[in-house]
Amino acid sequence: MTMEKIIHPSQLLEWKSTVLANRPHFNKTVVISSGTCGQASGSLPVIEALEKELLKRNLKDKIEIKITGCHGFCEMEPNLIVYPDGIFYKKLTPKDIPKIVEDTLLNNKAIPSLVFEDAKSKKKIYEQEEIPFYKKQMRLLTENNFKIDPTKIEDYIALDGYQALSKVLFNMTSEEVIGDIITSGLRGRGGAGFPAGKKWEICHREKSQEKYIICNADEGDPGAYMDRSLLEGNPYSVIEGMTIGAYAIGASEGFIYVRMEYPLAVRHVTDAIKQAKKQGFLGNSIMGSEFQFDIHVIEGAGAFVSGEETSLMASIEGRRAFPRQRPPYPAQSGLWGKPTNINNVETWANIAPIIRNGADWYAGIGTKNSKGTKIFSLVGKINNTGLVEVPMGITLKEIIYDIGGGIKDNKKFKAVQTGGPSGGCIPAEKLNLPIDYDTLAKAGSIMGSGGMIVMDENTCMVDIAKFFLSFTQEESCGKCVPCRVGTRQLYEILNRITEGRGEEGDIKKLKSLAKTVNSGALCALGQTAPNPILTTLKYFLKEYEIHIKEKSCPALVCKDLIIYYIEPNKCVGCLLCKKSCPVEAIAGERKQLHVIDHDLCIKCGACLDVCPPKVSAVFKYTGTKKDRLTKKTSPKRVKK
Amino acid sequence: MKLVLNGKEIEVEGRPTILQIARKNGVKIPSLCDHERLTPFSGCRLCLVEIEGRRGFPPSCGTYAEEGMKIKTNTPQLRKLRQQILELILSEHPSSCLICSEKKECDDHKSTIRKVGETTGCVMCPNNGRCELQDIVGVLEIENVQFPALYRDFEVKKKDPFFDRNYNLCILCGRCVRMCHEVRGASAISFVHRGSDEVIGTFYDKTLIEAGCQFCGACVDTCPTGALTERALKYEMLPDGQSQTICPFCGIGCAVDVDLKNGKILSSRPANGTSLNRGQACVKGRFILRDVVYASGRIRTPKIRKGKELEEVGWDEALDFAARKLKAYKSSELALIDSPQMSIEDIYVSRKFARDALKTKNVTASPGFAPPSIYQSLLLDNGTLCPLNFKLRDISKARTIVLMGTDLTVSHPIVWLEVLEAVKSGANLVVVSPTELALTRFATQWLRNKAGSEIHLLGYLSKIILEQQEAPELKGIEGYETFLKSLGTLSLESTVKLSGINESQLKDTALSLLEEGPVAYLFGTELTSLSKRNMGALALKNLALMTSGQLFPLGLENNMRGHFELTHFSSLRDMKIDDLIDSVEDGRIKALYVMGTIPRPKKARAEFLVFQGSHENEISQKADVVFPAATFAEVEGTYVNIEGRIQKCFPAIEPLGEARPDWWILAQLAERFKLTGFKYKKSASILNEIQKNNFGLKKASAEDLEKGKEIFVQERERNEERPQFFPLEFLPVIPDVSEKYPFLMLNDYNLDVYRSLILGHVSRGMGKIRNSEWIFLCPEDAEKIGVENGDKIEIVSELGKMIGRVKLTNTVSEGIVKSSFIALGSDDFKSIRVLPVKIERG
Repeated sequence: MTMEKIIHPSQLLEWKSTVLANRPHFNKTVVISSGTCGQASGSLPVIEALEKELLKRNLKDKIEIKITGCHGFCEMEPNLIVYPDGIFYKKLTPKDIPKIVEDTLLNNKAIPSLVFEDAKSKKKIYEQEEIPFYKKQMRLLTENNFKIDPTKIEDYIALDGYQALSKVLFNMTSEEVIGDIITSGLRGRGGAGFPAGKKWEICHREKSQEKYIICNADEGDPGAYMDRSLLEGNPYSVIEGMTIGAYAIGASEGFIYVRMEYPLAVRHVTDAIKQAKKQGFLGNSIMGSEFQFDIHVIEGAGAFVSGEETSLMASIEGRRAFPRQRPPYPAQSGLWGKPTNINNVETWANIAPIIRNGADWYAGIGTKNSKGTKIFSLVGKINNTGLVEVPMGITLKEIIYDIGGGIKDNKKFKAVQTGGPSGGCIPAEKLNLPIDYDTLAKAGSIMGSGGMIVMDENTCMVDIAKFFLSFTQEESCGKCVPCRVGTRQLYEILNRITEGRGEEGDIKKLKSLAKTVNSGALCALGQTAPNPILTTLKYFLKEYEIHIKEKSCPALVCKDLIIYYIEPNKCVGCLLCKKSCPVEAIAGERKQLHVIDHDLCIKCGACLDVCPPKVSAVFKYTGTKKDRLTKKTSPKRVKK
Repeated sequence: MKLVLNGKEIEVEGRPTILQIARKNGVKIPSLCDHERLTPFSGCRLCLVEIEGRRGFPPSCGTYAEEGMKIKTNTPQLRKLRQQILELILSEHPSSCLICSEKKECDDHKSTIRKVGETTGCVMCPNNGRCELQDIVGVLEIENVQFPALYRDFEVKKKDPFFDRNYNLCILCGRCVRMCHEVRGASAISFVHRGSDEVIGTFYDKTLIEAGCQFCGACVDTCPTGALTERALKYEMLPDGQSQTICPFCGIGCAVDVDLKNGKILSSRPANGTSLNRGQACVKGRFILRDVVYASGRIRTPKIRKGKELEEVGWDEALDFAARKLKAYKSSELALIDSPQMSIEDIYVSRKFARDALKTKNVTASPGFAPPSIYQSLLLDNGTLCPLNFKLRDISKARTIVLMGTDLTVSHPIVWLEVLEAVKSGANLVVVSPTELALTRFATQWLRNKAGSEIHLLGYLSKIILEQQEAPELKGIEGYETFLKSLGTLSLESTVKLSGINESQLKDTALSLLEEGPVAYLFGTELTSLSKRNMGALALKNLALMTSGQLFPLGLENNMRGHFELTHFSSLRDMKIDDLIDSVEDGRIKALYVMGTIPRPKKARAEFLVFQGSHENEISQKADVVFPAATFAEVEGTYVNIEGRIQKCFPAIEPLGEARPDWWILAQLAERFKLTGFKYKKSASILNEIQKNNFGLKKASAEDLEKGKEIFVQERERNEERPQFFPLEFLPVIPDVSEKYPFLMLNDYNLDVYRSLILGHVSRGMGKIRNSEWIFLCPEDAEKIGVENGDKIEIVSELGKMIGRVKLTNTVSEGIVKSSFIALGSDDFKSIRVLPVKIERG
């Protein structure tokens, strides 16, 4: 079904109808999510088993297998959907395949044991669209991940792919394109939320023979992976968006800067570029117009700071990824000193839908100053981890409880960290906050690239702040003093506090140093690095004070502030904990009381994990001295 | 444009940074990472300012002035911010010396911080208090560091010559890295790792030598702390005086500051604020200047041969002895060899001595490594081929640069900086070189030609240009027809075959010469000595005429131009050095007066040999009389650099021992010949005499030079208004290699000497970088012969043999050996040209 190179816009529509008309008829289509996350959870053996089974039963031309990018529902990987019924099977292993083929594919019978079960209501839900995780989302960008085999451009063409580009090239001036993007209200999805259309306009106005377009795919926030999912699952939309952007600002060369830790994304996007060139969507005289544009893929070596736009450009130029002082902004002097427009993957993916459906349609979604949808990676202590795409203005509560299915193990919600290491923690009392760029900023956090880490009551906020600081101080590029040394000193203070060596005045020191780092650092990485500290100090000051004054950790997390203890009157002397202890810190014989030697104990918690729920003799206490124990917790139930 | 700085309205021009404006207007803003020759870094964050209407605190070093800006540089908020940032720096930098409670006593009573260490423990700073960080601690009034110390515990790097690298003291301002990369183009060091592991280092933590460091010392000089420190200074304590001298180790003549202690030179650093070298030097001027003056082979007293031994005697005895002996020979039996490394006063007196006292025509210059003088090839009957004067800074303005016949980063490092500046601003660099050079990676075109094909190459480039360019005005130029005719014999096929350069490369290069002007043609000794007669210079001149280019002849020695002006315009032409040595060998010349190096020293054993110089060598040991000459650093003297700039060098120290200026020794001898014209009291009176008698040096007035006036050589009349083409001859210069002699040996013109001293011998460090024993060989050839790095080998040619050590390098191609004939002291290699040789194990 391949097509000759497109040299006239009408050929695109012809191609689409040819693709649709010539689709072979299948009884069923099995869509398997196999992005990096799916593959890591074992989708490849499942696919292999399915292919073997179909071959064995000679069903190859009756059943279609479509391997797609990520479907977003990480918790349930590997999963598949059987169309046209839309039945969703979760957490599969190759062993499940014969039964699926036999029952569902051949005999139209769903298998209850493999379908999704709601954590709260225990109700079984058969259809993918009915699962709450998906139902409340608004999947403008991610929906196509179900429908597209990322290695086949025809799948994209069938979904009106490249029609936005066609419209732009033949019916719109660059000013009109920019006007549409401004009207749509699209703001950059990379973090700061600068209006995309305005950014384009500035770059468009610069006079230069050469201009560049960059797609920032150096996604580095811990726990964030929406850009990867888009590039893996639908690289075409990013390429189309960039080409439209290039037309609008007048660039003839573009770069996708993607981290080399995303090999599948690199493969898919490189392949998609090759296909686009072959079909006339990239290169000279695109679709027969006078416009020419080409895209190169550059692999980053994995420094977090490379996601900062000026260091990203330094890296493309072959220099060390150091950020530089702005102004001049990239729109004035960017890559090789030429005007450059840089947006992130998600922003680019929004462009084609906006052009296709109209700016007003897009402006109708979201809140007053934040339009459209946003993809969040919902992770942490939550039942349904995954990528969720929601309209701006949705509340945190809806995301966490309706889509996310609430907190794991029915624990209490404590806080959610948004925006990665540059963001902040938002506490329970702000759960009704409608999410957009401005409300998050007002709460002390940021939208960032869309990381959302949910924390339960067993999370220590000082420890969380320490975690993010350890990340930023390691990832600091080292160029400027406030970031390189400042974050390190901040980390040292937090470390001291979590180790029970906190001092009076530490909080004041943290605040003052945080201010210095914020106002002194060169780039956003450093300037925002203290945010996790500042928001936890704002909302959880008490926890800091307890750590410092009482030398105890209320959440029972900080290792130096807790001890494991075996209740003498509960211990049955079963030897389980003694055997599990990696450092032989537990003494005791069969049917005799077991005792933990606290000098040897490394606080790994293995004893608590293995103590049978019936017995529940191992407890975690906080405080440095036994007589000052302030809190205890019941052991976690562990099913054997 | 106008802006407001701390409430004061200021008018500024161009597009300076706020820091530059502040400095110009006397407003002090602390800064550690900024440097006037480097692009803004904005890393230390001490120069933060407030700008009305702008968010946050932009760094003044990286923020450019804009119309109407309102800038505040010293608010309480800024002070606090700077203080805390400085405290952060100090928390990583062992800083007991900066905030020690004993600091005042220490500053007042001890001459060096390090000395205090014995009692108070602050032994960390090896920089003798020359520390910008320390200054800023004073400015920002830091008394205490509130943060715990996070010292890094790096091992001090001591494996490389000349300086130690103690990165515990490094504040990561990146000045060294940027200097190495932006100004020097060496890029030997870089930032490695990130976050708190970040450090300055080399690729895979190799030694600096392995990383391609040129040891120019620019990193050491720009380091604001004691992280990079010169090893020789470690135990010397603070200097008690300063002086300035002119580096004599190449044709540039860099101004060099010297630190003194008890009348001795402690160290030398490039002088700042001079228009010539602008704060930069190279390994020679930076690290070995002092070693040359105090070298172990320094001659300090006059000696005469009594029996078999040389004995130390007084000046009178030595002078009487020499005069008596010299008088005994006929004029035709006498010969004198002077050196282009002597001052023009010395050279003038030596020539006058030969003429009036010895009355001999057997005079020539010590060949150093550059026979014949590059300027000789530019000499025409009616003047010179092109202006010989130029300005170094003009090179940086060229849009296309053609470089041939010299390994610029080694032979003329400061000229290279100008080339690099041009390249960084987008100029094309065309390099013609059979061997790979440190700078070939910067070349837009590198024509890796076979040695000896240069004239063919230049000729064919001219041919392409003439064919390409429809320029009727060229046809009207004198000599066009004969030039065109001479090119007729040159075919593409033969050029490609001879040079190894393919057609498209030739075409691309020719076109790039036409593309953008001005074109600068830089050429060195290798071109003129590899081409027969003056073909190299003529071929370049023709090209320059067609491409509106300028020729930049790069002489090697520090006073080669001055020597040329003094000697080459008289009716008396110098004797050829080879003929002179031959005459000594066959006994026609019986008495020889030597003031530099000579080739074939073993065969140049005259009946009576006088050696005048500052360092012992093979000749001095065989001499019958040895006169100790003072070095450049000890006497007043005038030198002419490659630009034609006349510079006066004043003594930095007293002459060592009994050493005396060269002119004084010659004048004393002349008096013993009963001559009256030699009664000079000081060198200035000689200069006055030169001024009167020499056309080129007419403007070299001692008073003006002392005032620091910029004075250039007066150029001869030329036919510049009447441009002219010159016909070329394509003469074979390279003998064919044979089965018996399968390798081609090229001479290395880089090896540095100061008169009779080989610089590679002067210090261990220099020997590690440039060793005169080295014979360069590529690994492939070494494997074929079965030799390894450091092995002793013998180079054998039809003329004879010499011994050296293998130095493996990828810079020479297969079939090529490179070494310095003279430095290896081979008696057998008479003529300094390309030779077919074979290699045998030594």
